[in-house]
Amino acid sequence: MQATPFLRFDGVAIRLGGREILSPTSFDVARGEFVCIVGPSGCGKTTLLRAASGLVTASAGEVRRNGVKMTEPSREVAFVFQDYGRALLPWRTVEGNVSLALEAAGVPAAERAPRIADVLGKVGLAKHAQKFPVQLSGGMQQRAQIARCLAQKPELMMMDEPFGALDALTRQSLQDELARLVRDDGLTVLFVTHDLEEAIYLGDRVIALQANPGPGRPSLARMIDVKIPRPRDQLTTKEHPDYLQLRRELFAFIEQGHD
Amino acid sequence: MTEGRLFRWLRPWVFPALLVGAFEWYARRAAALGSDALAPPSAAAKAFVGAALDGSLWQATGFTLGTAALGLLIGAMLGIALGLVLGLSRRAAQLGSVSIEVLRPVPSVALIPLAMLAFGFGVRMELAIVAFATFWPLLVLVQSAVQQIEPRLLEVSRVLGLSARERAFKIVLPAIVPRLFVALRLGVAVALVVAVTVEIAANPNGMGYAMMIAQQSFDPALMLAWLGWIGVVGFAVNAGMVLLQRTVARRMGVMP
Amino acid sequence: MNSNDRAPSGLHWLGSFAVLCALVALWWIASNAGWVSRVFLPTPQATFASLLEGLNLSGDSGNGELLAFTQATVGRMVEGWLLASLFGVVLGAAIGVSPAVRAWIQPTLEFIRPLPASALLPLAISIFGLNPGMVLFVVAFGAMWPVLLATVHGFAAVEPRLAEVARCLQMSRAAYIWKMGLPNAMPDILAGMRLALTIALIVAVVGEMIASQSGLGQAILLAARAFRASDLFAGIVLLGLIGFVSNALLAFAEKRLLRWQQP
Repeated sequence: MQATPFLRFDGVAIRLGGREILSPTSFDVARGEFVCIVGPSGCGKTTLLRAASGLVTASAGEVRRNGVKMTEPSREVAFVFQDYGRALLPWRTVEGNVSLALEAAGVPAAERAPRIADVLGKVGLAKHAQKFPVQLSGGMQQRAQIARCLAQKPELMMMDEPFGALDALTRQSLQDELARLVRDDGLTVLFVTHDLEEAIYLGDRVIALQANPGPGRPSLARMIDVKIPRPRDQLTTKEHPDYLQLRRELFAFIEQGHD
Repeated sequence: MTEGRLFRWLRPWVFPALLVGAFEWYARRAAALGSDALAPPSAAAKAFVGAALDGSLWQATGFTLGTAALGLLIGAMLGIALGLVLGLSRRAAQLGSVSIEVLRPVPSVALIPLAMLAFGFGVRMELAIVAFATFWPLLVLVQSAVQQIEPRLLEVSRVLGLSARERAFKIVLPAIVPRLFVALRLGVAVALVVAVTVEIAANPNGMGYAMMIAQQSFDPALMLAWLGWIGVVGFAVNAGMVLLQRTVARRMGVMP
Repeated sequence: MNSNDRAPSGLHWLGSFAVLCALVALWWIASNAGWVSRVFLPTPQATFASLLEGLNLSGDSGNGELLAFTQATVGRMVEGWLLASLFGVVLGAAIGVSPAVRAWIQPTLEFIRPLPASALLPLAISIFGLNPGMVLFVVAFGAMWPVLLATVHGFAAVEPRLAEVARCLQMSRAAYIWKMGLPNAMPDILAGMRLALTIALIVAVVGEMIASQSGLGQAILLAARAFRASDLFAGIVLLGLIGFVSNALLAFAEKRLLRWQQP
């Protein structure tokens, strides 16, 4: 066991507008892990992510990264928003948007160009560097946002249902691209999704939250390790017996929660 | 809770109260030093009450508001009528586009001397200029509103075989009501501003003229009273129009 | 109605010009045939002749006055507008960027919004007297408000998601204003500047009229008083031209600056 886990959620509870959105939740994340968080709407998964990145303060408990309590957003924690169109600066090109992350970090102008080119190459947008967001498809806009987050060279990447607004084909190819990127860069990822299959496909671990757990009961209902070997692919992994078993488990669990 | 509400009610008045207070202090000092260019707000308030009591306030305000309203009526009717035609017929819109682009940029104040020449001083001259000034924004906005009507609705009217008149009254006009009220709100604002401007520049009637005369007779208190009153009237009229526009929008179930 | 006919072809432009020529022809007939008295409606030829004379384009019979007047009016308008835009943007940014400041000051701004800019002329005359500086002051002051209000609105309405991105990137306040606030406010600011330009022209003309300052405003007023209808119309044509050109230039600049809005 590690002495200090990379990321620790310690009794994190969040109240918003008088309601307890998340009851005290605790779990650890190891460096390089890909953790997926699933649950029905209203279970607080997005709020948990936002609290973890400092965009929202927890009403109880704390989030610690490398032992240090997280209260404010930090450049080392990148956040990929679901509504990618609104998270990109419409008046800057793809290149300009990625550059924003470097400018904020104080990277000198001369160094920016090669880093931007590198990151755009990773997400496959090298040819579209001079386009404005309005000229890009949804999938490309999301890639641009991911590129900007990668340019931050983050320790931790938070992703809030990043592929939720995309069509199925785009979603599949982006899932594989993301898996590759994360493996290449050794990123630690917290990935919120409502899509159970996506969670199993991408994650090393799946955390299932439940909505309205009732007094004294935790929001965190299940934690499942996904031991399916990597690299995974859309066809064979989804026929893997472990995948099918986990899928059944999770589906049953979620159905239970609906009674 | 009530403290919070009281605070929110009072807050908009704090900054202007500070400004008025500062102005009062400065104007009194200037008057003490012999300047007669400014008057303190307290003197302006007195002058205002005087004008209200002797009737000159109401007469001038009535003139300005009445002329602005009448001019708006004319300008709006013509603008809406032409806007409907140009909105519904792409050919007409294209044919008229150059003429509109040539005539529209003429500032309404440039026509003041012409109106003076043609109508002399009085209601008609101001009416003509307000009508000209309000005609254009209404034309442009109504035309654009008609062009933005859900094309599906117009196809439905064709399929149902509605006559041009039926189409205008049953489909087009109801469809543009929210945008029409936005245009009218703008028209009211323009009408009032233009009316006051014409009175300041030339027409010896109304609020603008009263303010000019006060300045020319070296009565800064009365001049400031008129300036403040013009501001209040403009604000009230515009606020009333916003309220009207919102009520209509809510009744029609549309947010403009 | 042919809904497939989208792009305006050369034929359509021709048709549109033809309509304009028809209107001019109507003007020609109405004035030359005396349907409307030539005291109010000079003939097109007389107007054109006055234009040429006034602009010094008709050889030696002209006095070139109109050219000088046009320069004076345009100068006032542009100077006032530039000052108004500068102060409007700076003040607007200062107010708009802080929700606290906005809460205190916005209601006062909303009160000033409907006030006619020309209404400040008597006060300005009282303070500054009848001189060109006074007119310039009112032009600048009056034209400043649309820019200021637009800037405040533009800064206040930053997409909340972008504000969160700025927090995630730990952007400094100054960087936020310069890289997010200002570009985000740009469409509003440009719209405000367009409105400011029309106000600047109007106030310049009215100011010239009542303060007897040399310019097109005064020129057309004097022409009307002396029953010189063709000179009056020549002045109106020039003022219309100024309005047209200034607006077209600004619209062009707006299109270039807001290229990122077009897919």
